[in-house]
Amino acid sequence: MVDTQTITDHERWAGVYKLLDRTSRIHPEFEPQEEIKEFIKTCKILVIGAGGLGCEILKNLALSGFGDIHVIDMDTIDVSNLNRQFLFRRADVGKPKAVTAAAFVNKRVQGVTVTPHYCKIQDKDEDFYQEFALIICGLDSIEARRWINATLVGMRDEDNPDTLKPLIDGGTEGFKGQARVILPGITSCYECSMDMLSKPTGFPLCTIANTPRLPEHCIEWASVLEWSNKHGDRKMDTDDPKDIQWLYETALARAKQYNIQGVTYSLTQGVVKNIIPAIAATNAIVAASCCNEALKIATTCAKNLDNYMMYSGNDSVYTYTFEHQRKDDCPVCSNSSTKLDFRGDKTLEEFMDYLKEKPDIQLKRPGFAVGGKPLYLQAPKQLEEALRPNLVKPLKELFSSGDEVTITDSTLPFSLQAVVTLT
Amino acid sequence: MDAKTQKYDRQLRLWGSSGQEALESAHILLINASAVGCEILKNLILPGIGQFTIVDPGTVSQNDIGSNFFLDFDSLGKQRAERAYELLGELNEDVKGNWAAKDIHSILKEDPGYLAQFSTVIATDITRETAEKLAALCWVGGQDANNRNPAGKKNITFVWVKTVGLFGAARIAVPEHTIVETHPDNVADLRIDTPFPELSAFAQSFDFDTEDSLEFGHIPYVAILLNYMDKWKQTHNGKIPSTYAEKNELKANIRAGMRSVDDENFDEAISSVLRSCQPTTIPSEIKALVNDPKCEHLNAESENFWILTRALRDYVNDHTKSDGLLPLSGTIPDMKAQTDSYVTLQSIYKTKAKQDVQEVSKVVESLLSSLGLAAGSISQQEIETFCKFSAFLKVIRYRSLEEEYHQPNTKQIDPDSVFPYYVLLRASDSFYDDHGRYPGEGENWEDDVDQLHANVGTLLQSWGIANDAVSKDLTHEICRYGNGAIHNIASLIGGVVSQEIIKLSTRQYIPMNNTFLFDGARSVSAVFAV
Ligand SMILES: [Zn+2]
Repeated sequence: MVDTQTITDHERWAGVYKLLDRTSRIHPEFEPQEEIKEFIKTCKILVIGAGGLGCEILKNLALSGFGDIHVIDMDTIDVSNLNRQFLFRRADVGKPKAVTAAAFVNKRVQGVTVTPHYCKIQDKDEDFYQEFALIICGLDSIEARRWINATLVGMRDEDNPDTLKPLIDGGTEGFKGQARVILPGITSCYECSMDMLSKPTGFPLCTIANTPRLPEHCIEWASVLEWSNKHGDRKMDTDDPKDIQWLYETALARAKQYNIQGVTYSLTQGVVKNIIPAIAATNAIVAASCCNEALKIATTCAKNLDNYMMYSGNDSVYTYTFEHQRKDDCPVCSNSSTKLDFRGDKTLEEFMDYLKEKPDIQLKRPGFAVGGKPLYLQAPKQLEEALRPNLVKPLKELFSSGDEVTITDSTLPFSLQAVVTLT
Repeated sequence: MDAKTQKYDRQLRLWGSSGQEALESAHILLINASAVGCEILKNLILPGIGQFTIVDPGTVSQNDIGSNFFLDFDSLGKQRAERAYELLGELNEDVKGNWAAKDIHSILKEDPGYLAQFSTVIATDITRETAEKLAALCWVGGQDANNRNPAGKKNITFVWVKTVGLFGAARIAVPEHTIVETHPDNVADLRIDTPFPELSAFAQSFDFDTEDSLEFGHIPYVAILLNYMDKWKQTHNGKIPSTYAEKNELKANIRAGMRSVDDENFDEAISSVLRSCQPTTIPSEIKALVNDPKCEHLNAESENFWILTRALRDYVNDHTKSDGLLPLSGTIPDMKAQTDSYVTLQSIYKTKAKQDVQEVSKVVESLLSSLGLAAGSISQQEIETFCKFSAFLKVIRYRSLEEEYHQPNTKQIDPDSVFPYYVLLRASDSFYDDHGRYPGEGENWEDDVDQLHANVGTLLQSWGIANDAVSKDLTHEICRYGNGAIHNIASLIGGVVSQEIIKLSTRQYIPMNNTFLFDGARSVSAVFAV
């Protein structure tokens, strides 16, 4: 056993300190200063998500010498997390991820303080986010990413440099992933790149109801149509094996009726929970890349990524680093409105469905207003009922071509201004 | 669903139970419990490899606990192999671990065949000389290099890994790696240009003059394409469209048949015209494969892969059975259609695929018997999978470290690429040979720049490459890194290497060939077959 006193930063952090103590000829702007080492020990850094990426990010930050780390996550540990979320053990199943992960890293890495926040990111206000020097996101939810991105862009005051919060975002799917650096208001933001996401999976209702062909169609039929017929108002719990079993059996019966093969329990679970394959290796690559950028941004020891690195490991190992451009009509980081074309004889409901699926918009529960007058709102209930007849009216009866339509969504902290040309 | 399936659910969706089984039979040796070495093991223990062994003669230093998550404060001064084994072993109760606080040279002195028990050997923190020796042993299945006649000995995958500051590298070496399940994006093979009789009959069963607009809007696009292609052939001497103009003409013909903008089935047909006008042929990579000497000279020790490839060749050459084409994959994409017609179409393709598998199976059985191998020693399931992916088979033959060290496979170097770092790694080895330490390790680190750059010059000259391929600023940067371990880089390289070992162990997906280089200062990477 060695006494704490004999641990010296100089020896312990030898690898990082060489970078910080020594000049670089490929990055001559860098000036070594003792304050930089002090800064990484004391600056506050926020990790959003304590899942597959989050566990890696916490480990990496602690071993980069960051001393004051916060982590926020609303989830609890599931047994299917254990194949990659290495800060959790079987005995931890059911416990909050943020709390368990923080305790593990605090115990393992001498001198670091990880503070957990077991809640939703939306539960915290701007004052909370204002405290951090840097924010790293390891999420699988598009909605949460759009929320934090819009919040950080909104917080930025050009006259006050302290309000600029660099956002580093990582994501994975199977053997693929990406890491990116967002300087809110300066580089392209998360919203600017919404069209890079693949179209949200979902099948037309008429296919599910009338002409099922794939096992997925049968599963969707069981979960979207048949569930409410049989269970009334009871909400489906996709974490309850009994509910999955019911869906599986119901989907299987429908598949038999139509001679469709391939409905399995695993596929049922995959479709209804929208499961994305995930492994430790890819999480490690993407999280390490994010934390490498965090260390570079916090210390300026090398140029940070500008601004996107794609990774793919299906066929050999491939990365592509490029500058993603800002979108001129980004609803979050630009001031101009979006331009949309839509047929005037189509109904507001059809317009709404189009916007739900459009990759760069992807709304969940949209509301519409023109010139301050609501056309349709999802809540409150009375207003929704009063406006509902508008849903079946053609757009040309509701507003004129070229009008600016304000589109809101309760899941997004911003509204979309769209100039709609009726065709 | 059993406990194991639950735990591994997210990975089983990638490599399935057969991949998992293969992973569980892997035994991985890690030489030296460095930060990058432990990161690799972490990502292999979590998804459940069979066994791991750590060999490391060292004790835990302060710098170890600053860069390695699997060595903690309490480990200071203790055996590195034992502590890493303990902290990594916690990650998965289904994985067996072993350790030895010994030097790999002394182990091999006592037991020259020691490596033969492993499927993969990962070497970190070793000199080039040791790397070459271990790689040569793995190349021949772990037997002593002086006794190179290992009958039936399987090859061992050798992986060499190194991180230096913000730079990291990994090298894979194994004589030959064959893959059936390469996981291509799309295996559909629709044969629109050369429909088999059952498919033609299906296409003709639809009434294109029907008054029923619902029925018309649900004619599967495959039938639409076949129908219009058939008409085209009748007026073009039986040929399919080949020029861009002809393909556009076919598109226009189909578009003209559309009745309403809601006929999405016609849209699907139009958007498939270009692909469907590609004549169905055997990809050149597969042609090369069936002409490989390993296919010609089968023996009782031949891998199943080569026996199957030979069967494929004989099947394809028998035109009465195959029309000179590969076995049908039997998979079709989703398309707008009524349930009945879609299911019928699906079963037409599946039935033909099954017939093809049966023909291939017959060839396999006769090959097995001529080789004196038991009937059924290649399972029906294996033959089916092989046929399904027969257009996407892959063989990678790696260069050995011996060949690489003699002369890397490169003619010129792009100074803006990541490759100059490779040259610097090699030059750092020369520096080590001269000085017994790596460049930049000491306080007077900048004093090493000239010496290291001289090593770079010597190397480039010996390879016959222009001297200005590596800038002196980059040499300076490597000296700045001073052979330091940075956890982020260890973790990134650890992620890449573990993923490649998973691909190699499961024989699924395509591993890199052969060296991965990552420059963390610029956040760029590349793979080179050096
Ligand atoms: Zn934007």
